[in-house]
Amino acid sequence: MAPGPVGATNVSVGIANLPNQRHKIVSRKGTNFTVMVVGESGLGKTTFINTLFTTLMREYKRPEHRFNKQMDRTVAIDVVRADIEEKGFNVRLTVIDTPGFGDYANNQDCWVPVIKFIDDQHQLVMNHETLPNRKIDDLRVHVCLYFIQPTGHTLKPLDIEVMKQLSSRVNLIPVIAKADTITPAEMLAFKERIRDCISTHDIQVYSPAVHSDDEETTRRNTSTLAAMPFSIISSENDVVVNGQNVRGRQYIWGVAEVENENHCDFKKLRNLLIRTHMHDLISTTHDSHYEAYRVSKLTAEGRTDNDPAISARRNFEAKMKEEEGALRKRFAEQVKVEENRFRQWEQKLISERDRLNEDLDKQHTLVKQLEEELEEIIAARKR
Amino acid sequence: MVASSGASFKSGGVRRKAAKKGLIFTIMIVGSSGSGKSTFVNTLCESPVILRKDHLDAEKAAVLKTVNITPTTIEMDEDGLKLSLTVVDTPGFGDNINNEPAFADILEYIEHQYEEILSQESRIKRNPRFQDNRVHILLYFVQPTGHGLREMDIEFMRTLGPRVNVIPVISKADSMTPQELNAFKKKVMEDISHYKIPIYDFPYDEDEDDEETIEENTELRGLLPFSVIGSEDEIILNGRRVRCRQYPWGIVEVDNSKHCDFSKLRYMLLSSHLHDVKDITHDVLYESWRTEKLSKEGHHDDDEEEVIIDG
Repeated sequence: MAPGPVGATNVSVGIANLPNQRHKIVSRKGTNFTVMVVGESGLGKTTFINTLFTTLMREYKRPEHRFNKQMDRTVAIDVVRADIEEKGFNVRLTVIDTPGFGDYANNQDCWVPVIKFIDDQHQLVMNHETLPNRKIDDLRVHVCLYFIQPTGHTLKPLDIEVMKQLSSRVNLIPVIAKADTITPAEMLAFKERIRDCISTHDIQVYSPAVHSDDEETTRRNTSTLAAMPFSIISSENDVVVNGQNVRGRQYIWGVAEVENENHCDFKKLRNLLIRTHMHDLISTTHDSHYEAYRVSKLTAEGRTDNDPAISARRNFEAKMKEEEGALRKRFAEQVKVEENRFRQWEQKLISERDRLNEDLDKQHTLVKQLEEELEEIIAARKR
Repeated sequence: MVASSGASFKSGGVRRKAAKKGLIFTIMIVGSSGSGKSTFVNTLCESPVILRKDHLDAEKAAVLKTVNITPTTIEMDEDGLKLSLTVVDTPGFGDNINNEPAFADILEYIEHQYEEILSQESRIKRNPRFQDNRVHILLYFVQPTGHGLREMDIEFMRTLGPRVNVIPVISKADSMTPQELNAFKKKVMEDISHYKIPIYDFPYDEDEDDEETIEENTELRGLLPFSVIGSEDEIILNGRRVRCRQYPWGIVEVDNSKHCDFSKLRYMLLSSHLHDVKDITHDVLYESWRTEKLSKEGHHDDDEEEVIIDG
């Protein structure tokens, strides 16, 4: 038997159990999941949310109150929270609705409050990163479902504009609302045109990794991806079909079933959101969208480094150095000035000394002269 | 081209006269793209009157669209009666991010037809071959949201209501269950009365009209707004040819009055209320526009002491 890689042992270290451990940790802690729904009113957003989580998350708007807001021309951001539990697994669910979006004759800039909300959440987390207490209410949007009107034609200018803005900031999943308006043949053509539109206008919708080690999973992922954008039918009511209770919509001509994969893609979408890709949605929000936001924000502020602490310190140090240099210069100058002064004083003293020395010499010479004269006189007298 | 669904007028004299000259009727269709307008028109006329494919292009999807008001005339035969039906389509309406400019375009078109009539009337020598292009009825397609009217619907119908007979129509009615449809119709009518939106609501006179008329009009008024489903596809169902939409869960029939109000709407438009609508257009709507317009000019007249020569 060939020697194994360095460090390998024959004893199971339990690495294979890591995914299970993670699962146990997460299921104990529960997870935080934020879903945003965007689309014109009347496309079934509220019904969808209530169907997806099989709870009455959102109350329907009271029809009597609509006169207050019908002509309001505003877009609101509604946040609804619930704690959901299934088989011991806790989800702290937040649903963000956008009433008023796209509902008016003039919808210019109606996406601004939505975009602002998404950015603000990233900003909040960014601000809190450097504080000692990092625990905040993390409301970053993990997935945004954009509801497309079932026109059967293609995307509208509003759809394109908003999806472009959303796709660069959040995991975007477009869904075709009220899919029971469209026959199967029309639906295929419609989806094709939407996909065409999305690629023509460079909209980055959420596309999960398809390949996985498990063949079953890969197959499921491929079929899920092929069905995008997902067509959905929602209902909070059960209908009896062939003796069974199913979620569906009862028409005169038949029952459109929510969970029937021949009728719509609701099941696929629910699996993606809750069963298979919830974790991926949460982590890509943090790893790629949040990071992208940080980079763009910080480069906009003029920083060239990704790490704010180091660059802050560098800036600080640079500043200190500058000040030190300035101080040194000032000090040197002062010293020079003083030295000059001393030198001049020295010069003065020297010249003074010289002068006095000269004087002294002169006196000496004079004295000598006088002495000589005196001696001469004394010598002359003696003779 | 032979059209189905027979209808008879109440007075034979009118019929004879009309049969000779041929009736003129103009319907304008307004609604966002994808609300089923073209299909509706083609279903109504039982032939492919409107064919537009450029709105499906991905590149052009983001481009700003102006309203392209396009009238198309077809000759129809309603139960032996010749009808020259003009359908005015308005592609581009409601498709942009800002749709307010489109309102003015449509209003301008309608008022322009009135201006033509006015200038014709004032001629010394009138043109016998002059074509009356006034819009007799405007079908406004409301989205089946289930929530009542939207701000755009309210604004538009309020703006156009004083100039043309407006009938709100719920398109793609196969997206609502019977209960939802009834609730929605109720909400729409509540909105219409709350915001005082003028629509054509099958007016009748309690004293003057006969019982049959009153009954008919009350019934039609109760159906407002009409729910429609359109389809150009036919299949054989139970031995007869049926226009329908085929879903995995069932088949929706266009002409089945239990499924939608299409057949009643068609009957009302092209047979029973055609004259009433035309009369109101001429006697009420055109007149009120004319009065407004002339009193404006008259006012101008007094100030400037000018004589305005028309024609």
